Amino acid sequence: MTKKSPKEKTILVIEDERPLLEAINTKLEKNGFSVLSARSVEQAFGLKLIKDDLGIMTVHSIEQALMYLETLEKVNAIWLDHHLLGKEDGLYFVKKIKANGGRWTSIPIFVVSNAASPNTVRSYIKSGVSKYYVKSDHRLDEIIGDIKSLLDRPGKTINAALSRA
Amino acid sequence: MNREPTISASNDIILSLKILAREKEVVRRKLAVTAAKLAATAEKLAVTAREKEIVRRKLAATAKEKESVRRKLVVVAEKLKKSYETLEQKVLERTKDLETSCAKEAAILLSIGDELLVTDEKGNIIIINKRAEKLLGVQNKDVVGKLFSDAMLLVDEKGNPIPAERHPARMALMGSATTAAGPIYYDMRKDKTRFPMAIMATPVILDGKVIGTIKIFRDITDEREIDKAKTEFVSLASHQLRTPLSAVNWYSEMLLAGDAGELNEKQRKYLDEVYRSNQRMVELVNALLDVSSLELGTFAIEPKSTDICKLAQDVIKEQRPQITAKKLSFSFLCKKRAVHIHVDPKHLRMVVQNILSNAVKYTPEGGKIVLSVALADKKSILLKISDTGYGIPKYQQGKIFTKLFRADNVRDKDTDGTGLGLYIVKSVVENSGGKVWFRSPVEGGTKGTVFYVKLPLDGVKKSSNK
Repeated sequence: MTKKSPKEKTILVIEDERPLLEAINTKLEKNGFSVLSARSVEQAFGLKLIKDDLGIMTVHSIEQALMYLETLEKVNAIWLDHHLLGKEDGLYFVKKIKANGGRWTSIPIFVVSNAASPNTVRSYIKSGVSKYYVKSDHRLDEIIGDIKSLLDRPGKTINAALSRA
Repeated sequence: MNREPTISASNDIILSLKILAREKEVVRRKLAVTAAKLAATAEKLAVTAREKEIVRRKLAATAKEKESVRRKLVVVAEKLKKSYETLEQKVLERTKDLETSCAKEAAILLSIGDELLVTDEKGNIIIINKRAEKLLGVQNKDVVGKLFSDAMLLVDEKGNPIPAERHPARMALMGSATTAAGPIYYDMRKDKTRFPMAIMATPVILDGKVIGTIKIFRDITDEREIDKAKTEFVSLASHQLRTPLSAVNWYSEMLLAGDAGELNEKQRKYLDEVYRSNQRMVELVNALLDVSSLELGTFAIEPKSTDICKLAQDVIKEQRPQITAKKLSFSFLCKKRAVHIHVDPKHLRMVVQNILSNAVKYTPEGGKIVLSVALADKKSILLKISDTGYGIPKYQQGKIFTKLFRADNVRDKDTDGTGLGLYIVKSVVENSGGKVWFRSPVEGGTKGTVFYVKLPLDGVKKSSNK
């Protein structure tokens, strides 16, 4: 995590593969974003605790997790993988976020995953994510470009249709 | 003179002689008569002899005829005997045939690994096999004579009873040639458990009248589980294979972007090779996953009304950078502004994308590509993609749709390719009830290829989304 200037936007990256997470973080930071990262849903929900230097803690209930989220600093967009560490997957995360209502519902979510079965993709689109990328088919700068252009023009809708799957 | 006595003696002799003569005459006459009689008798005898001869001859002739008749009779008798034997043989053979066929039929019925129900024309059960008894948890005596709809309660996935008129057996009774029901039907066993079933009901038709139905069904719980395992395998494989490829992709992207410092020319060149090879690997994995989906039958088909021209335009847009880079002249002709076809858009996209990217890949700089979409007839649409490229060598044209095959001329040119594109195209097109073919070199030319894809407008049936 890098120092944050007032203009910087924050992306929450949830990706379980360490080398990929590092690449994403580096590239996002190069592009002027501030990054929060997690490798599991539990970690994502527990980020507030990490920020408060309390170390990684396990949350015991969704309510508790969402409570943390509500108090979490402003996250502008979420970069999300499907398969994650722990028992919950990205779809579970999206559903919880969207079900909670409030500000979190409108945070754009970019799913970047190699789990590209048509069913999985459809479920994400139905749950209201902004876009689904098949990880191995897209360059980092391409995805980051999309995120930037969406955040620069918040009213803009992007086509969630996919190149594959 | 004593002449008197002499005279008298002479007279006596004369008299006697006269008498003798007369007697002789009488005898002569008698003899003559006798001779005449004899002659007559002889004549008669001769006649008789002749008659006898005639009779004899006739008899001889008759005997000959008889012999010939006898011989004929013998022949006929032999023939009859033979034909009787043959007939007997034939009857034996036919009986044996019938027995064999009966035994076969019985064996077929017995060896059907599936559950079997036979009903009469009213739908009353007349036969139920052991397997069916076991699966449905019923006894022969409990169901024979009953209506099949009373014996088998069919419900849908949510547990709602399926109305009798939608029972496959009922539809077969209405005369539908063969009604194959999808795996969506469940049956309640006696213990109220539910399981998925595949049912096939066929009407038994005699002289144009339905006289009963044969219903074969089975529990497809296992098949469903295998399907699920296949899908899981593909999804797992896709994830596992793509993850390291993503890492190579992104790290080489960052290195090439100078994120870790400037690269010298050689480093850039080598890294470029790494990046491009990795891209090839990504394509190969994607194609392999498509192929395995097609082959495992886990390819869910979700047809909807699709604007084929718009879809083609999207694909062209994706290919635009390569088209521009190769300075290809590209034309797109869509005869009707919106030709809608009932297909799964993601499959149609695969078809157009594969053929178009081949055309782009295998046409040298400055070449020409034309993509056209038009109605082929009232029922189908024709996609035509022509190029002025390398063409497909005559001697390898038979193999071009084979999995992993790449023609020598394009391998020689160091072009990238997986050898899976056209295999996928053919599988998808044929699954959609269409046809794909090509001409190379193009008519009247020495090079180039034209690919044709013909698809039915009413398109494909939805298949279960596994």
